[in-house]
Amino acid sequence: MAAPGWRHITRWRRGCWGTAVSETLWPVTGRSASSSAPFPGRVGGSSEPGNEVKPSTQILSKSHLGFSLIRPCSRLPSVAALQPLCCRSTHSDAKLEDPFTLAQKDLTTLYDDIKKELFISRTELKSLCDYYFDGRGKAIRPIIVVLMARALNIHSDRSGDLLPGQKAIAMITEMIHTASLVHDDVIDGSDARRGKRSLNEVWGEKKAILAGDFILSAASMALARIGDITVVKVLSQVIEDLVRGEFMQLGSKENENERFKHYLEKTFKKTASLIANSCKAVSILVSSDPEVHEIAYQYGKNVGIAFQLVDDVLDFTSGAQQLGKPSAADLKLGLATGPVLFACQQFPELHAMIMRRFSSKGDVDRAWQYVLKSDGVQQTSFLARRYCQEAIRQVSLLRPSPERDALIRLTELVLSRDK
Amino acid sequence: MFASACSKLLRRLTFPIRGQRTLSLFSSTGSSSWSKVVSDAEKIVGYPTSFMSLRCLLSDELSNVAMHIRKLVGTQHPLLNTARGFVYDSKNNLQMRGLIVLLLSKAAGPSHAADDALGQDMVSGIYPSQRNLAEIVELINTAFLVHRGVVNLKELTVSDGLLKDMEFGNKMAVLSGDFLLANACTGLAQLNNTEVVELISSAIGDVVQGIYYENYSSAEDGLIDGVDVASWKEHIFLTHGALLAKSCEAAMLLAKHDKQAQMLAYLYGKHLSLGHKLNSDLQPFVKGGMGQPVTFSLNAAPVVFHRQLVGKDRWHQQLQQATTLSNQLDYSKLLATVKSEKGVSSALDLCCFHSNKALEAIKAFPSSKARSALENIAFAVTKF
Repeated sequence: MAAPGWRHITRWRRGCWGTAVSETLWPVTGRSASSSAPFPGRVGGSSEPGNEVKPSTQILSKSHLGFSLIRPCSRLPSVAALQPLCCRSTHSDAKLEDPFTLAQKDLTTLYDDIKKELFISRTELKSLCDYYFDGRGKAIRPIIVVLMARALNIHSDRSGDLLPGQKAIAMITEMIHTASLVHDDVIDGSDARRGKRSLNEVWGEKKAILAGDFILSAASMALARIGDITVVKVLSQVIEDLVRGEFMQLGSKENENERFKHYLEKTFKKTASLIANSCKAVSILVSSDPEVHEIAYQYGKNVGIAFQLVDDVLDFTSGAQQLGKPSAADLKLGLATGPVLFACQQFPELHAMIMRRFSSKGDVDRAWQYVLKSDGVQQTSFLARRYCQEAIRQVSLLRPSPERDALIRLTELVLSRDK
Repeated sequence: MFASACSKLLRRLTFPIRGQRTLSLFSSTGSSSWSKVVSDAEKIVGYPTSFMSLRCLLSDELSNVAMHIRKLVGTQHPLLNTARGFVYDSKNNLQMRGLIVLLLSKAAGPSHAADDALGQDMVSGIYPSQRNLAEIVELINTAFLVHRGVVNLKELTVSDGLLKDMEFGNKMAVLSGDFLLANACTGLAQLNNTEVVELISSAIGDVVQGIYYENYSSAEDGLIDGVDVASWKEHIFLTHGALLAKSCEAAMLLAKHDKQAQMLAYLYGKHLSLGHKLNSDLQPFVKGGMGQPVTFSLNAAPVVFHRQLVGKDRWHQQLQQATTLSNQLDYSKLLATVKSEKGVSSALDLCCFHSNKALEAIKAFPSSKARSALENIAFAVTKF
């Protein structure tokens, strides 16, 4: 029992950590450096965090090996093991919701501010644009952005409130995210979102697309009004990444390692880029130190990827009510996410199904069964944990503050969320 | 009761037009004088080829789309027509907005403030950032052409073919439109001017609102009555004027020309677009074109004026008279009705008004070849 597991994980380590993850992480790290054009000296420095990832990767995958073979289900020990990595966490477990409460004071007017940006006199278009800004979303992105902004401000010796531009970025982040959701729902033909009918379901596809475009233009105006061209560039990159990520979902790769790399890159573009670049944007406004920008960016990138990996796991493990959308939605859309890609290493039968995007009759059910039989879900969760550890390592480089510790704790919440 | 029957009829009539929708406001004018002034103007700005659009067209993403679009051949999805238009219409002023931005940039020339501050060399009398802007404007315009091709899946009928094809076409339309818009966003950021980013972003918002009003506000207020002339003007400015007006203004901003020049450029762009929109609306009403089956939008300028002039009741009556026994609208008959009244001449007057306003604005720029080209273009919108 242990032997195949061992072989499997070794193969996985060589196949995925060795090529896929490292290659995926490097270009991404490098790209962040190249996108921070005003700091050409950064190119050399940016390989640093990248190089640091590699050894820690190995250490951590070994530690995973240890407990996953002995106690496959207990994932808690590694959370405990995380604590020494970061600077002392002062929180007790009783205050689990801390990051959210801590962020709340900067987000009380979030949705009102967004609605002001979307102001158009009278028309129906207004109600379409406001539809998702009803306060029922998790607003996880703005939470991360304001916590990061405060942590960075303390790190940079700037006390007091958020800068107006930082507050605006928190809002813009949520707007860009929502605009992309609206278009995604049309692309995927989704009829439900956040526990209610999707925009396209209520008003039709034509109007939904226009609403998405309008939200994007309003976000872009608010972004320009911050008046910092570097910030504009950083967040415009996100918009391009979102589309490119969506394009990446159209294709599947024949080769398994390619496929994993493709998946992580897509995940970065579709989910992590927004968080990473928003964190970077708030750092640019308070600090001129490219290393600080990089910390912010890396935290956002790693949390972002972890967030999406957990999302992909939940697609298999969560019931329809909990996620607000039907489970196995990704399979039904023909998408092979982490759990399937891992399962494919144990069950090569999945390969053909992945290539035909689960389009034959019964594919979705069969793939689902294989995934549940495999340890694809655990492997993906573990990978998410790895990204969170890197996020923690990065943000721990900042001066201690309640907000920094909240960002550390937030990674646990990302991992443990069930919806 | 008549109103509801009629509105049902009209709603049915507006959708089939989808397939033959004109591609862009600048592509429908067939007049040779127009083509002449445009091709003359293109020579003035040096190379008219849009590099950014070229980069987009050659990207992996769009070649991917192009490959997928082939699957749509034989289906009814409008994206196919839009895509076809990129090929067939490319000669026909598809990149008109970009050209006008370039001409205005050249007509305004270098500014005293810009020479040191910009640190960029002019090529054929135009700053590189202004050329980039011209391309961005085209990207935005094309993005909306593509997004307008998204169809409402619930309204499909059997004649539209397979739902699966239409879903796929929608997917491609959303993605490629988004791709163009995203490239416009990054291109805008590279212009290094947040004022310009804000201005052009607001123009994107204007276009969205315009398209929304144009297509749906009439449905809200009851399609049968349409909108009055005042709100119609407001809507066509948003859809057809705002992007060009604000782009012209932005071209002045990029070269650090003063407020006065920015305003004049804005006015030129605004009035030229409106003049051109009226010109294309007027085409079926002034052209002899016997034998050809006519269709026109019931929101075309002459109809909007006509409706306002004759009043609601007579308009309803006329609509009913133009409706055949098989519940089809006889466009030739309706055309004759509209032509018998003052709607056409009112629209013509407005067209000349905008042409004059555009000429007035451009007169303030120093005399040059570029300025003459802009004058000729402004003249051409009144020719039929």
